[in-house]
Amino acid sequence: MQVCILLCGGFEIKEEIWIEKYRPFKLDDVVGQKETVERLKSYIKTRNLPHLLFSGPPGVGKTATSVSIARELFGESWRENFTELNASDERGIDVVRTKIKNFAKTTPIGGADFKIIFLDEADALTSDAQSALRRTMERYTNNCRFILSCNYSSKIIEPIQSRCAVYRFRPLSDEAVAERVRFVANNENLDIADDGVDAIKYVAQGDMRKAINALQAAALIADTIHKDAIYKITATARPEQVKELITTALDGSFSAARKHLDSLLLEQGLSGEDVVGQIYRAMFDVDIPEKKMVELIDVIGEIDFRLTEGANERIQLECLLAHFALSGKECN
Amino acid sequence: MTVQMEWAEKYRPVSLSDVVGHKKVIDDLRNWGEQWEFGTPEKRAVVLHGQAGIGKTSSAHALARDMNWEVIELNASDQRTAGVIEKIAGSASTMKTLTGTSDKRLIILDEADNLHGNSDRGGARAIVDVIKKASQPIVLIANDIYGLSSTVRSLCLELKFGSVQSRSMVPALKKIAAQEDVMCGVGVIEKIAESADGDFRSAVNDLQAIAMGRTEINIEDISTSERDNKESIFKVVGRIFKGKDVSSALEATYNLDETPEDLIHWVDENLPYQYTGKGEEALTPDIIAGYSYLSRSDRFLGRVRRRQNYRMWRYAGMLMTGGTVVSKSRVRGGFVKYQPPSLWRKMGQMRSRRNMRNNIAVKIGSHCNESMRYSRLEVAGMYSRLIQEDEYAADVVAVLGLDMDEMLHMVGAKKVTKKLQAVYDDAQKKRQVFIPADEPAFFVEKAAPKKDPSQLSFDSLPASNNATLDSAFGKGFPNKDEGATPAKKEVAAKPQKTLFDF
Repeated sequence: MQVCILLCGGFEIKEEIWIEKYRPFKLDDVVGQKETVERLKSYIKTRNLPHLLFSGPPGVGKTATSVSIARELFGESWRENFTELNASDERGIDVVRTKIKNFAKTTPIGGADFKIIFLDEADALTSDAQSALRRTMERYTNNCRFILSCNYSSKIIEPIQSRCAVYRFRPLSDEAVAERVRFVANNENLDIADDGVDAIKYVAQGDMRKAINALQAAALIADTIHKDAIYKITATARPEQVKELITTALDGSFSAARKHLDSLLLEQGLSGEDVVGQIYRAMFDVDIPEKKMVELIDVIGEIDFRLTEGANERIQLECLLAHFALSGKECN
Repeated sequence: MTVQMEWAEKYRPVSLSDVVGHKKVIDDLRNWGEQWEFGTPEKRAVVLHGQAGIGKTSSAHALARDMNWEVIELNASDQRTAGVIEKIAGSASTMKTLTGTSDKRLIILDEADNLHGNSDRGGARAIVDVIKKASQPIVLIANDIYGLSSTVRSLCLELKFGSVQSRSMVPALKKIAAQEDVMCGVGVIEKIAESADGDFRSAVNDLQAIAMGRTEINIEDISTSERDNKESIFKVVGRIFKGKDVSSALEATYNLDETPEDLIHWVDENLPYQYTGKGEEALTPDIIAGYSYLSRSDRFLGRVRRRQNYRMWRYAGMLMTGGTVVSKSRVRGGFVKYQPPSLWRKMGQMRSRRNMRNNIAVKIGSHCNESMRYSRLEVAGMYSRLIQEDEYAADVVAVLGLDMDEMLHMVGAKKVTKKLQAVYDDAQKKRQVFIPADEPAFFVEKAAPKKDPSQLSFDSLPASNNATLDSAFGKGFPNKDEGATPAKKEVAAKPQKTLFDF
């Protein structure tokens, strides 16, 4: 799994992709899903498993948990008894009827009691394919279990939900992200400042994959990781900057606000979408009446939409700032 | 090393008497099964339908075991083209069993409402054929009865499985817990039964999930694996309608396992009931403001759908939650129950009505050699006018081969009256004359005018007569009533040879 990059000077940097390196291999390593993990561990203890349905946003540990279950149940032979189908694979009704059914039919290898089929992004299965799955799930329970993962369990048809134990993965708390980031940094002999951790928390928004990627990217450009490295590498404006942009605009000083905007767009090289996204997130901390806030968020959405339709990001964002100025005037 | 089974499989009912709930339906099913002991019953197939996890498949298998029948099962995990169905179910349904251990074999077509358009081409027609020719019992299983064509339904005895009452689940769950040596605290079983929402299989699964690795379960243990869907959506809806705080309403949706596309239906359904209080007009300014936000929210949902730009969901979510929160002028006291979206139910009903209308149009179309669309838009109205005239009703029903539901739909009646029943019976008698009984009806409908010898007399109708009828039709289209009247006169002269027979 080691990736070696040879630079021209014969100079060698050993690098690995950290999200792979630090992917949890044991259920105990899965962070931030304590209750779920506790219940799942009791399955391991009894060496038995119902069909499982994991639902939750990306980067919270659904795949990691599934792989950990397989590793803990099957030990060495986990690869033979665990198969994973992604949305990137063809997954129409024919796959369910041939590939999945055949895997489900055959007996487990290496003394395992059963096999596990992991259907990642199961909500991408057509509903026909989902209904073709349901009898297969029941028929071969003596040698096969299914783990389905999805972003929204409402996209999974009722008959399948009824056959599964449903576990909801919540977005990770900031503490959980911080803890893991510190752990990784420690392992890699990295110095990370507290404001660096805070920056990662802000950037990750509960997505561990994003957090670790940001950490690794920042580690390439700096020895000690401060917030600036994080913001720079992830093309994120500092939260204070965004807040300042908003308050200046609300105060009605349009040209001052536009200077802030230019510095974000031109000097820091952020895309218009990034800026709009951050403005949206900052809105909840701005001190304005809630009614105004909802109105402004409607405008933000409209501008976000026009960004994709229009040609000039700056014009659209200036329009947004003008709206802020108008709204600020009405408040006073 | 013992492999623990899933409890839902392990405790599948062995006999019909073990099935939880559904007393009446089970009796009907057993009666139907027993009829087979004395020859072929009138309906050769039953269709069991109802929501997921209430025992449809289990009942079918239990029936076979009770009657000592062999079982052949075809479900959606098998390919089910016309060829496959005919090969497996067709031969099985007409031949005697090979082993001779029992004299009947039960054919179970699971998920019969789920034939795949492409991979299962022709499957639906094959099912009709198989049922018609069967000399062996057939059970069809479906979640949605309207997913089956009306032809199939008319051939089957329909048995509806309602949802399992939570109070009848409780003793069954307790029995399972006792057999698995799991001690249950007070209220645990009741809670599981409650949250399963009529779905017995998920109740058993939940019980197993909670009990795994424990010998004792208490009410606190439930929370982790609960199916909390319903509960949390009510909490979110409550925050939206009763709360004053935008961010807390929005935050509540983060933990909700519903897409904004589903949530908006909830808000939409409840908004008019929630934002009007005692002594207020039905349409308060709050409702108007709320709908203006919902409309803007929907605009973003549309952008997501058209452009696959899922970033827009956050604005839609904000407007439907926060917008609704800020559009109330005050928090109204008193509790008005939150309703699940009626739109979904209505869409289900509409789909069945549309299917019915299309089915009728196909029948008319094949009779008049017109497209389904044309028949539905232009001709169906006239036929339904004719069917309301006593003189022609039976003939129309017979010639088009309408079943009872379709006839009711065309007449516009809700219930079967004596008179309609008489018309229908009369039509069935006439149909016996038109169509030899052993041939599938839909073949004959097209071929009858040319091939069937008993129809020959109609072909010899004077050509001029046909021509006048045609012109009467031609003129009649713009105004249905006028069109029907001259046609009626022509036919009135020859009551035996109706105009539908050419």
